[in-house]
Amino acid sequence: MSQIKSSKKFKWALDFNQKNRTPTTELPSPPGYSQSANANYTESSKDTDSNLLLIKKLWDVALGPLKQVPMNLFIMYMAGNSISIFPIMMVGMLIVRPVKALFATQSTFKMVEGTQAIGQKFVYFIGNIVNILLALYKCQSMGLLPTHSSDWLAFEEPQTRVEHIGGGMSLI
Amino acid sequence: MGVLSNCVKPNFLGLLKCLNSLNWFIVFFSLINLSVCIYEDQIGKFDWRQTYVGRIKFSQFDTVSTAKKIIVATEENVLAALNLKTGQVVWRHVFESASTGNIQLLHVTEKVVTVSGSNPYLVRGWDSATGVLLWEWSLTLQNEDHVDFSEWWVQNNMLVHMVPIFGTHIEVTMYNVFNGQNKGASSKLPAPWTNEGCVLSAPYYTCISGDVSSGLLLSLDVTSDAVQLISRPLSEYVSLQSSYVNLSPLDGNSVIPGFTIDNRKIVIIKNNQLELLKVDVTDPSASVTVIESVNGPLVLQAWSDNDFSAVAHSVSTGSEVKELQWSDRELKLPDPEISSALCTKSSREQLVCRILVTAADDSTHLIQQDGRVVWSREEALSNVVAVEFVELPVSDLDAAIESEFDQKEGSIWAAFSRRLQTQIQQLQTIIQGLHKGEGMEEDATSPLVRDYFGLHKIIVLVTEVGKIFGMDNLSGAILWKYYEPNLDTEGVVVFTRRTARHPPNDAYLTVVGKHEESGNGLIISLNPITGALIGERLLQLDVQLLQVALLHKPDNEKLHALILLDKDENVQILPISAAPLVENMYMYVAEKTTATVHGYAILYDGKSLIAQKTWLTHLGGGPGSGHRIVTAARKAPGERVHSPGRGEIFDIDGGALVGRVNNTSLVHTDVVVATCVDAASGAVVAAQAHRRARALALAVHTEHYVAYLYYNDKHRRTEIATMELYEGKQRWLAAGAAFSSLESWRAPSVSRHAYVLPAAPSAAAATTTERSLTDKHILLALSSGAVVEVPWVYLEARRGVGPDLEGVVPPPPAPDVPLPAEARLNYNRTVARPERVYTAPAGLESTSLVLVTGLDLFYTRVAPSKTFDLLKDDFDYYLITIVLGALIVATYSTKYFASRKMLKLAWK
Repeated sequence: MSQIKSSKKFKWALDFNQKNRTPTTELPSPPGYSQSANANYTESSKDTDSNLLLIKKLWDVALGPLKQVPMNLFIMYMAGNSISIFPIMMVGMLIVRPVKALFATQSTFKMVEGTQAIGQKFVYFIGNIVNILLALYKCQSMGLLPTHSSDWLAFEEPQTRVEHIGGGMSLI
Repeated sequence: MGVLSNCVKPNFLGLLKCLNSLNWFIVFFSLINLSVCIYEDQIGKFDWRQTYVGRIKFSQFDTVSTAKKIIVATEENVLAALNLKTGQVVWRHVFESASTGNIQLLHVTEKVVTVSGSNPYLVRGWDSATGVLLWEWSLTLQNEDHVDFSEWWVQNNMLVHMVPIFGTHIEVTMYNVFNGQNKGASSKLPAPWTNEGCVLSAPYYTCISGDVSSGLLLSLDVTSDAVQLISRPLSEYVSLQSSYVNLSPLDGNSVIPGFTIDNRKIVIIKNNQLELLKVDVTDPSASVTVIESVNGPLVLQAWSDNDFSAVAHSVSTGSEVKELQWSDRELKLPDPEISSALCTKSSREQLVCRILVTAADDSTHLIQQDGRVVWSREEALSNVVAVEFVELPVSDLDAAIESEFDQKEGSIWAAFSRRLQTQIQQLQTIIQGLHKGEGMEEDATSPLVRDYFGLHKIIVLVTEVGKIFGMDNLSGAILWKYYEPNLDTEGVVVFTRRTARHPPNDAYLTVVGKHEESGNGLIISLNPITGALIGERLLQLDVQLLQVALLHKPDNEKLHALILLDKDENVQILPISAAPLVENMYMYVAEKTTATVHGYAILYDGKSLIAQKTWLTHLGGGPGSGHRIVTAARKAPGERVHSPGRGEIFDIDGGALVGRVNNTSLVHTDVVVATCVDAASGAVVAAQAHRRARALALAVHTEHYVAYLYYNDKHRRTEIATMELYEGKQRWLAAGAAFSSLESWRAPSVSRHAYVLPAAPSAAAATTTERSLTDKHILLALSSGAVVEVPWVYLEARRGVGPDLEGVVPPPPAPDVPLPAEARLNYNRTVARPERVYTAPAGLESTSLVLVTGLDLFYTRVAPSKTFDLLKDDFDYYLITIVLGALIVATYSTKYFASRKMLKLAWK
């Protein structure tokens, strides 16, 4: 039907919107417009700007753990050395966060390539290690680390006795 | 506990303040460790008490009051009323255990009258229904010379006291029994015919005068105003062949005065005439009494040859009473004695008799006229001298499973088939159990097999009289008994030579005592589960024993050999085949009176064992110094000591000796010396002296410490002193090294302290657990009848010193040991006259089993570090199951609903 219609249409209709098969010839640029210069400028400025920002941002991230150290020290001081629920929670957080962060290093620095990435990663790593060491120190001062020999008593062989005795008060 | 209670007292603010000032540890420690008391609903759940009265000396039926009772007075100085139907103690009075409490007379009418003590005597009246003291007056005799032979009885409300002075006269004094008013002076009856063979059958005093051939039988009513001497020639009663004739009074409150001659003829005194009965004594060992019945008085005789028999005859006619005669093969009563008998007429004109019989093994039985035993009481248990806890064997099924793992050899297929077999066996038992449960009512007694936690054991008790009992520790029921009349139990020792862990071999327990007459060693070996004699059975040695030890190494049959050191320092070993196993074995013998300790090395020379004297220590500083050893304490053999990490504990190998020597030569400068001697080398490890003190024979030695008690004469108080041995800050030997006393050249450092004990202890023991990981508590039985638990931290020398390396804070310093009411193990179940405390490990590491002996028996279990390996007694299994189930249901339902919601959201 439609074809018939269209054919009918085609028969009688006059198409004013004839597609112009001929390619449009390039229009001349307005005066004073230099296409190449413009493109060049925008390209370069955008690139350097975002790069710098990213690097700055990433340095922030990389230095984050180190910046936390004084805060952590303060928390540790406030938590005290007694073993109860809150100090334990705090120490747990202190230890768990940097470890998690270490495992997430790759994803944190995913979008970065370049010369500074290695340095950033290294600083980030060092910062987290410092935090872990601090937490371990805290555990140590709380006596939570099995560093005493008394913590390994269960595996110690008891002394054996050589002589065996019997006896008591005289039965007579 | 003390710390906490001090703090809690004022208010909550006070508590907060206290928590601030104290270290958290103390609070933690107090809460967890030291709250030892039980809840109200736990009364009787873990413990039991059995009350005893002792061997019956006098007894009388209380026929007056409505509740029928038997009033008894015993050798243990106890006055008690026993329920006639059940034999349970209705009321009981425990008198002093010394001669001041000796009961001389028991007289029961509406009131109970007793005479107790020995110059001064106390005459007391008691209400028979309640046991309340009604009156009391004392009596002091001026002349103490012949008091030992004095006799007492009550006649017409007058208390008669008679003292015979042999060969001259009899002194008779009468007092009003209620107030002690004397009815004039004591009368002296001339009686030159009296001698030590005379008998009293109140009120007649009867003697044999002269030799047998021309002898006279003389009898005198000592209470009558006119002296009427009854005199008959002895030849009327006995044939004159025998060289010696003895008289013995009738037993059991005979209603007619009488006596037996030569244990053959029965003579009664009637109307001031001696009357020979037509009935002879049936058996020389028979106990004879005359009882009142409706048909006139009856002569009742009871004896036991192989079986226990009794017979009754009428006094007037001599005819046998058919209703009152029996012979019982089941009942084993050695040397029965009729304590008391009572016959009444029932509504159906039948003779109803109750006879209370006491046997030589101290057991008391109430027997009916037809020979049926109404109840029995094992009064031997009021005098326990040695106790051993014995493990029970595993059930047959468990044994099969265990044996499966024992068999190491065999191919994989053999193991597989064995596995299948045991599984089938298990299935069979389950099915059988189901059948049984359906079919018939299972008898209530639980089978004697080990339970999962090892709390069920058998207690073997050796009693002073020579009767050995096996008792179920959970119920206190007597499982078996064995009576050995020849066993002298002074210094008796009991060894478990094989536990029940080695099927098919039975458990093996050996009691080493002395023969009653010769004093030679007497060894009884029995199976503690059944009470049957096994192995060496009853072995009578022909030599006196100095000491006995158990060999530490078992032989092929898992039996630990017994090393016997005799008086001549010869060594025997039982069984002989174990002799080559003897190695590094040492023995010591402490002599009480001379305060010397001998050490022996037991050596095997290829053929036999010899004892080599290795050392000798004079604890008193030399012979003749007047010192004596009060007690010797030794570590329990096989006790594990976990020394590493606990300040490097010095573990004296095998054991140590605490000899406490008491200088009795000068009253005011008595010295108590505690000496720790290494029993292998004889080296004195530590010693400590207390001046102006008197030793109590109580000492505890466990792990690396010694605790002992003494009475401080200067301050008039009891003190408990402790000595702890430490190696110092450095350990001497590496872990796992072998420690030998003979090679150790260093002396341990000793920390010591003494604390005031605000009580009078009569027994002490330390808790023991399977692996010695649990804390140690010292159990003290006090003369008040309490058994208290004192944590070792309160006795430690470092108490109050400050936190140690591990941050454990000892309790605050104080001069005394706190004995709070919560620490009392037996709450209101007072143990009368506690004498010893025995402890044994349970299968659970946290738990220690405790038996307190004395006049009563009290059993309980303690958990010094709380039951860390056991769920709480009131743990709510239902609640936790319901909660768990509900949580699972909730999880799955929420999951379902969540997924539906997600689906709906996705469709929106």
